[in-house]
Amino acid sequence: MPPPDDPPSTTTAATKTSIIDSLGVEIVGVMSPVSICMLLVVLILTSLSSPSTTSSTSPPPVTAATLIYVESDSDSPSHKLLGAVLDAAAFVALIAAATFVLVLLYYYNFTSFLKNYLRFSVFFVLFSMGGSIMASLLQHFSIPLDAPTSFILLFNFAILGVLSVFSPAVPILLRQSYMVSVAVIVAVWFARLPEWTTWVLLIALALYDLAAVLCPHGPLRILVELASSRDEELPALVYEARPADSSHPVSPPASTPVASLGSVEMQPVSEASNSNSSSVDEEERSPLVSSPPVVRENLSNFNHEQVRESNNSNHAVVEMETGESETLPLVEREGFRSSSNSDSEFEMFDSTRGIRLGLGDFVFYSVLVGRAAMYDLMTVYACYLAIISGLGCTLILLSVFRHALPALPISITLGVIFYFLTRLLMEPFVVGASTNLVMF
Amino acid sequence: MTVAAGVGYVLIALGPALSLFASVIAKKPFLILTLLSSTLFWLISLIILAGAWRAFLPVKSTELWPYSILILTSVGFQEGIRIGFWRLFKKMEDMLNAFADRVSKPRLFLTDKMQLALAGGLGHGLAHAVFFCLSLLTPAFGPATFYVDKCPSIPFFLISAIIALGFVIIHTFSMVIAFNGYTEGKRKDQIFVPFAHLIAALITLINLVPGGCNIGLPLLCIMAGTTLYYNWQLVWRRLTEHQTTRSSD
Repeated sequence: MPPPDDPPSTTTAATKTSIIDSLGVEIVGVMSPVSICMLLVVLILTSLSSPSTTSSTSPPPVTAATLIYVESDSDSPSHKLLGAVLDAAAFVALIAAATFVLVLLYYYNFTSFLKNYLRFSVFFVLFSMGGSIMASLLQHFSIPLDAPTSFILLFNFAILGVLSVFSPAVPILLRQSYMVSVAVIVAVWFARLPEWTTWVLLIALALYDLAAVLCPHGPLRILVELASSRDEELPALVYEARPADSSHPVSPPASTPVASLGSVEMQPVSEASNSNSSSVDEEERSPLVSSPPVVRENLSNFNHEQVRESNNSNHAVVEMETGESETLPLVEREGFRSSSNSDSEFEMFDSTRGIRLGLGDFVFYSVLVGRAAMYDLMTVYACYLAIISGLGCTLILLSVFRHALPALPISITLGVIFYFLTRLLMEPFVVGASTNLVMF
Repeated sequence: MTVAAGVGYVLIALGPALSLFASVIAKKPFLILTLLSSTLFWLISLIILAGAWRAFLPVKSTELWPYSILILTSVGFQEGIRIGFWRLFKKMEDMLNAFADRVSKPRLFLTDKMQLALAGGLGHGLAHAVFFCLSLLTPAFGPATFYVDKCPSIPFFLISAIIALGFVIIHTFSMVIAFNGYTEGKRKDQIFVPFAHLIAALITLINLVPGGCNIGLPLLCIMAGTTLYYNWQLVWRRLTEHQTTRSSD
């Protein structure tokens, strides 16, 4: 009979801690980078889209998303809608093909090729696309920076990004910042697509994400199972929401009270098998879906938590024609420090649980908010709230279901609904009232 | 009127809210989540209201009575939503207490409950400030300013920023008062909140009269101050009672 886990020591009257002190840290840890990314995208888009550059003068960029139909202002709405649907279908087909290529490459163990390709694509995004954004910002704000200096700065910035992507020795904050910058740059670029195409594309991608992660033969699901059967990490761009300081003791059950009420029965079983490492390893190799959450507090040795490593990190490399972005299902990372694991010495120092969110999710959330920003600030805030609440729902579902979930569908659906409701219903009401200084 | 003026208007409307956020709410992630969900609630209630009123828009700004009906219905609806919010809050409190028992930690303190109410109220206030004031502030970052016909003495952005400030204070603290009132069952608190909200909204009707904003703005600030004072008295009373009951056993 395995011994039960010790309850946390009772607190003295002087240091009264309440349960709401530390509840929800992980959720906020994922929501803050998403918010920062959206804020940066909105700022860049609003400062760069001055009235002088209207959409009618500059043609939209020729991309994979405008292969079939390029929207122009003179077409009728039905024509635009049809063209947008065709564009979105072509784009989703391209993404699905790229994901299948990734699955094939991973299946045949071309992992180092994939990693190097990703490093190259990060460099390309940061240097070339980031460079063009930097050039337009410098031009817009008339910043006195000469070309050689900016080239050197940009080059350093890009190289550091490449180094930080897959190396575990880089501080986590730096890696997180670079992930966010890559997402910002890609989102700013994507937001330049024409309007109808953007909305239809977002909806189509949400549906694709849903299918690819949850269907039994979906490419992302196959990728998950491959990665878990080999017990290694997929080479892909992913944001890991690990807190910078892991020194505060967090109670064993999961972060949300809903999850804890639902899954707290799972906790004692897995915590009990703390000492017996070999049987735990076997448990790890068992099917991904049923592995219980293990977040334990190790009171004896370390100040931070030990988490069990079952590598259910799943990503999809989604290829645009110029770079790469990841549409990644939302996964809760569970790490386990076992003595047999060769890279366990890294796990010792970065051991708290980290929720992983794919960079593609960041990108498409920001694209939605950026497109809302091109209309009005009111829609921006409404879409921001919708996306954040969709993300919160997805995180709660993640802690209930405990396997990879698509992060796009709920947020994108809510975001689109709120955008159109705000634009059509709320704006005349609120603007009419507040310009007459009648408020409630 | 340049970026400095724009940022200034934003800070007038949101300054106290930001400092409340930084000092109380940012420290506890759960309060941040409460704030976000209460903002979402307010947004949804506003969308429902806007949907209901869509057919009657645009309202002629010269007549008083359409706006008063608008305000009465809006405030009534929002106060009804507040009761619904309180029911949800009770359920969440029960869930949190059950969770606390399960992990053998102390149950929710009185200060916790008040902080949750504060976060909820701040969410409402933030939503009001953003939708009624900030979304119209974009031209203020440019080179010019704007005056409404009815109020030629103060720039439009400044008026809406001050009104938003008043309402942020009213929304934030009336949530604390309301939750305390519903928990304790005190009629006086329960009546005070809708009353204060309604009076504040009706005060803004004075702005429809030419030159009325010179009277309306100070009155609104007085109303915000009243709410703040009432809340202060209530919290002081509750905390001292709580201390005495705890120290007596």
